[in-house]
Amino acid sequence: MLREEELKTFVDGTTRYFEVAAQQPATIGSPYLLEGDVTVHDYTGVISISGKREGVVYFTAPRAMLTVLLMKMQESDFSHENMRDLVGEVTNTISGNARKDFGHDFVISVPSVLTGEKLQIPHKAGMRSFVIPINWRSHSAKLVVSLT
Amino acid sequence: MQFSRSDRNGRLLIAGAAAAIAAVMVLVLIAGFRLATEIRASVAALQGTSVLQTYPAVISQQLTALRQRLQTLEYTGHVHRELTRTVRNFNLRLAAVERRNLDPAAIRHAESLWRHYAPQLAPVLAFSGEPYDDTDTGSSLSARGRKYYDQVRQAGIFAQTSAPVLHGALAAVSAALQARTSAAAARLRTLLLAGVLAVVLLALAAAYLQLSRARQQRAAREAQDQTRDILKTVREGFFLLDADYRIGAVWSQALTHLFGRSDFKGLAFEELLRDKVPADTLATAVKYIKLLWGERARENLMKSINPLGQLEVSVDNGRGGKESRFLQFDFHRVMGPKGVKHVLCAVGDITSSVLLARELQEAQENAHSQLDMMIGMLRADPLQVSAFLDSAAAGLKHVNTIMKEPARTDAEFRKKLAGLSRELHSIKGEAAALSLMSVAERVHRLEDMVAELTAKSELTGNDFLPVVLKLDELLAHLRGVREMTARLVSLKEGPAGAGTASLPQLRIGEAREPQAERPGRSCADLGALLEQLAGKLALDHGKRFALKLTGLTEVPAGYLETVKDCAIQMLRNAAVHGIEPCEARRAAAKPEIGEVCLQFRRLDPGYELVFQDDGAGLSPEALKEAAVRKNVLTAEEAAALDNRAALALIFRPGFSTRESVSMDAGRGTGMDLVARSVYGLGGKIGVSTNPGRFTRFKITLPAAGAAAAVA
Repeated sequence: MLREEELKTFVDGTTRYFEVAAQQPATIGSPYLLEGDVTVHDYTGVISISGKREGVVYFTAPRAMLTVLLMKMQESDFSHENMRDLVGEVTNTISGNARKDFGHDFVISVPSVLTGEKLQIPHKAGMRSFVIPINWRSHSAKLVVSLT
Repeated sequence: MQFSRSDRNGRLLIAGAAAAIAAVMVLVLIAGFRLATEIRASVAALQGTSVLQTYPAVISQQLTALRQRLQTLEYTGHVHRELTRTVRNFNLRLAAVERRNLDPAAIRHAESLWRHYAPQLAPVLAFSGEPYDDTDTGSSLSARGRKYYDQVRQAGIFAQTSAPVLHGALAAVSAALQARTSAAAARLRTLLLAGVLAVVLLALAAAYLQLSRARQQRAAREAQDQTRDILKTVREGFFLLDADYRIGAVWSQALTHLFGRSDFKGLAFEELLRDKVPADTLATAVKYIKLLWGERARENLMKSINPLGQLEVSVDNGRGGKESRFLQFDFHRVMGPKGVKHVLCAVGDITSSVLLARELQEAQENAHSQLDMMIGMLRADPLQVSAFLDSAAAGLKHVNTIMKEPARTDAEFRKKLAGLSRELHSIKGEAAALSLMSVAERVHRLEDMVAELTAKSELTGNDFLPVVLKLDELLAHLRGVREMTARLVSLKEGPAGAGTASLPQLRIGEAREPQAERPGRSCADLGALLEQLAGKLALDHGKRFALKLTGLTEVPAGYLETVKDCAIQMLRNAAVHGIEPCEARRAAAKPEIGEVCLQFRRLDPGYELVFQDDGAGLSPEALKEAAVRKNVLTAEEAAALDNRAALALIFRPGFSTRESVSMDAGRGTGMDLVARSVYGLGGKIGVSTNPGRFTRFKITLPAAGAAAAVA
């Protein structure tokens, strides 16, 4: 059974990125359970997890949010590649935070970045998926923790 | 501490021995000096006496020479001067011997002899001038000369007899002085020997003490090494707290690992736990430590109220992150002669034990809940359980929908709470009615969480993380209930029916609408469900009442769910608040067995549900008092309410007359759920009561709603 501390580790990893990179912390919205397939945004960073728990954790954000984030970071390159890199960075922070908190209990993969809104995220039977809205300025992204 | 005291004693003993050696040496030297001085004086006196012994003979000789010279008319001046000098020297030396006062008796004897001798010599020595008269015929003794001659002769005669006696007396003085000198020399020798012996003995004692001390030091070093090894190896953190609640200079190595720091010396106990435990826990811990220093506090009693028996702390995990650990603090007072000297603190890491205990408890709870679930399901009709599971799935889907609604502000988060409470309360009521206590208890805990959030001053998304996890856990449990129901059905129906007995799997995304397709729910099921709930409530609350159900067959399918929800909530209210205990009923001259009636009937148009109990009734004053007590209304607002408005308080969300929450009452959600369900269908609800006699709820439902609900 997923514990609150484990869930918080992924949430804190996400909100910390905004706090450090944009000097403006993100807040979380009301978490809920995933019903059916998740609605992903334009850019999605995925990490696979094995070991004590198995599954995936992904961060999915709309292009508009990433654009404002890049602007806030004094970036002027809003290309597709740069957006991918940014989502990769967020996901990297999430996995780094998880490594730091969980140590060897969790084996965490290198993040991969997917684009488009019609994605098929691998979903194992028996996995429980929690969706945590990540609110930053007027935008909203999602963190999905889908672990056994 | 013991080693250092012993070491100090050893040092003191050695210093004492050295001081004793020095004292003995000083005493020996002083005594030796005095003896040497005495010997030197004796030797000097002996030398003087030896010389004195020769004087009587010399004086006698000089008198004889003087007499002869007078006889032969020779010059006498030289001899006279010699005699005078000899007598003066004798007097001087004798006086010197007398001054030394070494043997007074012998000297006094010699002196008395001399006192007789000296007057004989005095006229001889007093003579001056020439004893001769010179004439032409030659020289002859003058008259003075003749007298002088006679005096010399008489003195000579006296000298011849007295000289040996005086010599003998002086020899006796000499012998006494010799004996005295010898005795002093012997004493000096003995003294020196004793001194040397004492010094040797003391030196040996000092050497022995030094050896003992070296042995003790070696033992102390070994003991210190062993203590260090113990402190390095032991898995508990040990340290001493002083009267200022600060850590002493020695602690076990494990403490560094437990707290992720090493600067413990002089660290205040409060600082040790700051940022690792909540502020209120820290305050309690500090108060407890202060209590330990009280002379009157009993250690066993103190142990029983130890607030740090199992403390969850957050510490660095060595990878830059934090991790939770469970620590157990144990305190022992170290007593000194003046009371409590230190408090020994032992800290153990009991994380694995706590986690294991939790797992065991979880496993036990699971086993119990499985058993409860089995018992509940054996009692209940599987189709009723299946209908409940469908209903619960729909309810939880609604809960998830409420959770899903976007929220950023406190108001938006707070808005979710009332809806969550109502849905959960409804599910709990039906689960309890079916005796599915494992489900009811889980929902109850979830309701507790929602109630805690309601009490919080500022809500954020983080506050809802435990709620969503609990919701997930509840869903997982409901899946287990569904699987078990399917197995029970297959067991009841045998192998032939196994294929048809499987019930649809519950998954939040796949839950079916309960109103749309619900194979098991019927009016008969509702009756049985309410009967079952009534029996359980009577048992749980020690009440006795009969439930009379009328007209349930008239309930249209579209209203079945609403009637069920309302009936469950009102029945729970009647059992908890309405029906009095048997003794109270007897005292009020009422039948011992209470009566609860539920009547459903078709009106023209619409429907009517009347629910009545012959219990204590509702007291508008009691309701107003509860509203003021719970800050729902001010005293002025409450006073302004008429009876009708006071009775309407029971439909307020979160309002309850009870002070504590139980499985069946106290949250103030049940009647809110009833009212909302009825109003949601366009119905009305009325309440009438006669305190001490009855409470009656009359619900009217529109005719159109029944069809709409079905659709």
